[in-house]
Amino acid sequence: MNAVVLAVALPLLGAFLTPSLARLSLPLGRLFGPGLLAFCLWLLWGIARALGDATAGVALGGFAPPLGIAFHLDRLALLFALAVPAMVLALWPWGGRPREWSLTLVLAAAATGLALSGDLFNLYVFYELLAVASYGLIAANQRPAAQAAALRYLLLSAAGSALALLGIALVYTQTGTLNLAQLALLAPVSLDGPLGLAAFALLLLGIGVKAEAFPVNTWVPEVYATAPSRLAGLLAGLVSKLAVLVIVRLLLVVFQRPEATQLMLVLGVLGIAWGELAAWRARDLSRQLAWSSVGQLGIVFVAFSLPGETGVLAGLAVALHHLLVKPALFLLARHWNGALEGLRGAARRAPLAGALFALFALSLVGVPPLPGFWAKFVTLSGLFAQPGPLCSLAAVVILTATLVEAAYLFRTLTLLFGPGGEEPRMAPHGALDLGTATAFAGLLLAGVIWLQPLTGDLHGIARQAVDMDTYVDTDLPTPRP
Amino acid sequence: MTPLDTLFILSACTLAVAWAFGRRPAAGGLIAVLYGGQILALAKMSGLASGALTMIAASPSFEVLGQALSWRFDGPAWFFALITLGAAFASAWFMAGEWGEGYRRKGGRLGLLQVALALNVSSMLLLLASGDLLSLFIGWELMSWASFLLMLSAGGVAVRWAFKYLIYALGGAMALLGALAWIHAQAGSLQYAAVAGLFATLSPGQAWTLVLAFAAGFGIKMALLPFHLWQGPAYAETPGPGSAFLGAISSRMGLFGILVVLVHLAGLDLLDRLLIPFTHLDARDLLGWVGAFTLIVPTFIAVRQHDARHLLAWHGIGQGGYMLIGVMQGDALGSAGGLLHVFNYATYQAALFLVVTAVVHRTGTADLNKLGGLVTRMPLSFLVMLVGIIGLAGLPPMNGFVSKWLIYRDLISSGRPLMFVATVIGTLGTIISVYKLIHNTFLGQLRMEHEDIREAPWSMLAPMLGLIVIVFLTGLMPGLVLDWIAPVQAALGLPVLDHSLGGVDLPNGGLDMLWVVGLLFAGFGVGALLFLAGNRHRYVHPLDNYAGGHFLTTEVRYHYSDDFYPGLMHLIGGWYRGSIQWLERALVSALDFLAQWSQAWFRSAQPALWLLGVTVFALWWVV
Repeated sequence: MNAVVLAVALPLLGAFLTPSLARLSLPLGRLFGPGLLAFCLWLLWGIARALGDATAGVALGGFAPPLGIAFHLDRLALLFALAVPAMVLALWPWGGRPREWSLTLVLAAAATGLALSGDLFNLYVFYELLAVASYGLIAANQRPAAQAAALRYLLLSAAGSALALLGIALVYTQTGTLNLAQLALLAPVSLDGPLGLAAFALLLLGIGVKAEAFPVNTWVPEVYATAPSRLAGLLAGLVSKLAVLVIVRLLLVVFQRPEATQLMLVLGVLGIAWGELAAWRARDLSRQLAWSSVGQLGIVFVAFSLPGETGVLAGLAVALHHLLVKPALFLLARHWNGALEGLRGAARRAPLAGALFALFALSLVGVPPLPGFWAKFVTLSGLFAQPGPLCSLAAVVILTATLVEAAYLFRTLTLLFGPGGEEPRMAPHGALDLGTATAFAGLLLAGVIWLQPLTGDLHGIARQAVDMDTYVDTDLPTPRP
Repeated sequence: MTPLDTLFILSACTLAVAWAFGRRPAAGGLIAVLYGGQILALAKMSGLASGALTMIAASPSFEVLGQALSWRFDGPAWFFALITLGAAFASAWFMAGEWGEGYRRKGGRLGLLQVALALNVSSMLLLLASGDLLSLFIGWELMSWASFLLMLSAGGVAVRWAFKYLIYALGGAMALLGALAWIHAQAGSLQYAAVAGLFATLSPGQAWTLVLAFAAGFGIKMALLPFHLWQGPAYAETPGPGSAFLGAISSRMGLFGILVVLVHLAGLDLLDRLLIPFTHLDARDLLGWVGAFTLIVPTFIAVRQHDARHLLAWHGIGQGGYMLIGVMQGDALGSAGGLLHVFNYATYQAALFLVVTAVVHRTGTADLNKLGGLVTRMPLSFLVMLVGIIGLAGLPPMNGFVSKWLIYRDLISSGRPLMFVATVIGTLGTIISVYKLIHNTFLGQLRMEHEDIREAPWSMLAPMLGLIVIVFLTGLMPGLVLDWIAPVQAALGLPVLDHSLGGVDLPNGGLDMLWVVGLLFAGFGVGALLFLAGNRHRYVHPLDNYAGGHFLTTEVRYHYSDDFYPGLMHLIGGWYRGSIQWLERALVSALDFLAQWSQAWFRSAQPALWLLGVTVFALWWVV
């Protein structure tokens, strides 16, 4: 079980070695990172298999929590930890320079740490590490627009980190600990006041910057539009989901209060409305996808705000679906840059890319029997099951936003498949991008075929994730006070 | 393997063949044969239509999220599937020969058309077979996308209308999805039995919400008012045989949905209990009147059309109104009339769309101002259109008369004179517009450029003639179809109509079409005898004629086609203010405005300041 540390440590080590290796031999440097990630993937897979339905706590260096660095291993954490090397591998910047490889490895290490971490302090450290790696990656693009976008991202992200830190400080002053399991025990008493709620609000807004939460997501369209598509895919697909995971963990373990979920619900609804509306008028494909991503993350927030197992199940379904679909769409959009009007007939020259785009768009809109439909259905049903008009309103907003989303996605699709200009203005899709997108499409279709076992697994993960007694008992084996 | 499995497998085979070989005109015959095979597979299940069986299940079933998904056929499914497959068979046959070649030669994508048609049929069969609300919704969505594909297959202007359809259809789908999710949240299950149980326990407010959501969701497919704007042009711009199929049956799936959910699961009693405040109307009356206005408004829009395809497509919307009125009557006579009209309408509408397509194939245009006099060149096509419009107008001896008679009769005997007047107004609009159709196409002066037009080829004539034979025979013997309708009524929980081969026998005056048609033909026969025996006559060329002392030549256009019914149009012109078009545009502008606003937010120059502001706000909210 302790080998799980390697999944964080090895990519970090690799990040330092890559530049030197690349200087020695470029092909070696190029393959080193992916090799490490593949090893991490295998390692985590083995651990997940060995662990099965059980949970485990790993205390680094033998310092028992709450003193040492603690990893909490359960199916939810391992699911996202597995997603990290898998997604980074799929979206590896093959064409980049050694610096980008290094930073991507740092990103992978930090992201894995974020998924596994069992205390708030480490969460913050990994979160910052992730942020730094992403600044570096975004700023690697030298174009002025990219630089401006990177600066905007930096400003917002730094402000968000400060807010999150403030929230953590509040938690610490109230409870005297940052270990999540201990917090779970203490929270009902010590964080049950406006101060606790304030801490959650600060954490939500701070970490929400990466999660594309509503009021703090103004960096999204520009960064995604200017960053390389693989990076945009990583940020929109993976990093945002990990930030959501952190928020959800906090919500489940520490801040189990109706006000907290309500805040999340409201932010989610506003995010859906703002994102989808802005996407309606987007003039180029990358921005359209970026805004749609904001809207989708809003749905993720709304889904996770549902109480109990339903919430985790719905949120996971929506989040995993988006994790799969959005990076693939970004990969396809890479060669279809520029004004939307210029894309006339583009899919006729690239039929496979067009077909994949249509498939992903259909799933994003939620057309049965594609997985996106089931995710949306679970969310809507969960919302309607809640009393109170706010949840029903959220469901209506989701339905309306879906209509808007379908309208602009299919406007784009009719452009792509419509008759177009004669000479192919755009370069064809690279084999790598198309291959990755096809693999993602294969996973999506596999999700249709194995829907039943998949939902069973998600149910299991959700059940385990809301089981706080097990969470506490795993990390704090000593009998409770 | 059950007979239903066979049907599904055949349907999948048809789709595969259309996919693999559809672009070749030569494969058209094979595809038509495969549709014929599906009809045979359906005939194997005729126990459903005779009432001997109530249900045939399909073998596969799934369980997703704790919901069992299953498919089965019952009486209503069989009845609608028969119409679907019949329309597909006629359309595919029509496409199989010369038309397909011509379409391809003109740059049309025949393969896409064939695939889209096969996809429509498969998804509609899946929809009809659904055994619970979840599978109903899956079938519904698949069908919507398949129709979208069929509508845009012509490219060009069709894409715009297909897109509009898609937005409307998705709006409807979202209403349905919302309703489904709500039901799932309340009842925990989407099985029909559970849903029916839930409907019985709802408060009036909840029931209203659900009824309106389902009515809107299904009604959009039927293009019920006020959601009627998309259908006319979308169907009209679909390539000929595709529009025949769509026009004949596609929107009736909306009626099927209403039958299954609102009539069967919710029950008409529930609709009766939902009162509209400050009026003496209830939800059922509301739907009936929506049907009545759907009948009147689009029918008179059809009168204004200058394109034969558009004229027919707008009629399709109006005829849906009759069906809804009949079904909402809810008694044996009215609901039988509504259901019978689904069948009757499909037969003549398909024939009419096909004959217009044949005219387009020969002349290259469907513009009613650029045709005329074709009866001398295409006499059989003329016959098809004649029979078709008699059916559409609801005049004896064709089948349209029977179904409309049942509805009229029921409206009168159940004491709804106002709605009866509404249906008569609708029929009036139909009669004047179908006269415009046949007059401008086939009667009057033949244009110079059409001198060398030939009759449509047999590959196109055969399905059309087959359809009008059905139109006539089921008009003569409506009992044949009423036999199939009885199990439909029984399965939906409606009273079953007592009928005979010639029609219905009611205490104070029934209808026996055998007599009606017999008398009609006897009268015609006497007239014909007098005409042939007592009258010397000879055939002349249409130009062998004169008017006002002028000899007519081909240069003189004496065929009056433009600006038909100016008096009527002047009279009702004020009513066509396009208020719903205005509403549609207003919605899009509002969306645009909001979108601009929200983009401005993402472009704000001081994001960090915003963040700070929001934080302060959040803390204020906390405190």
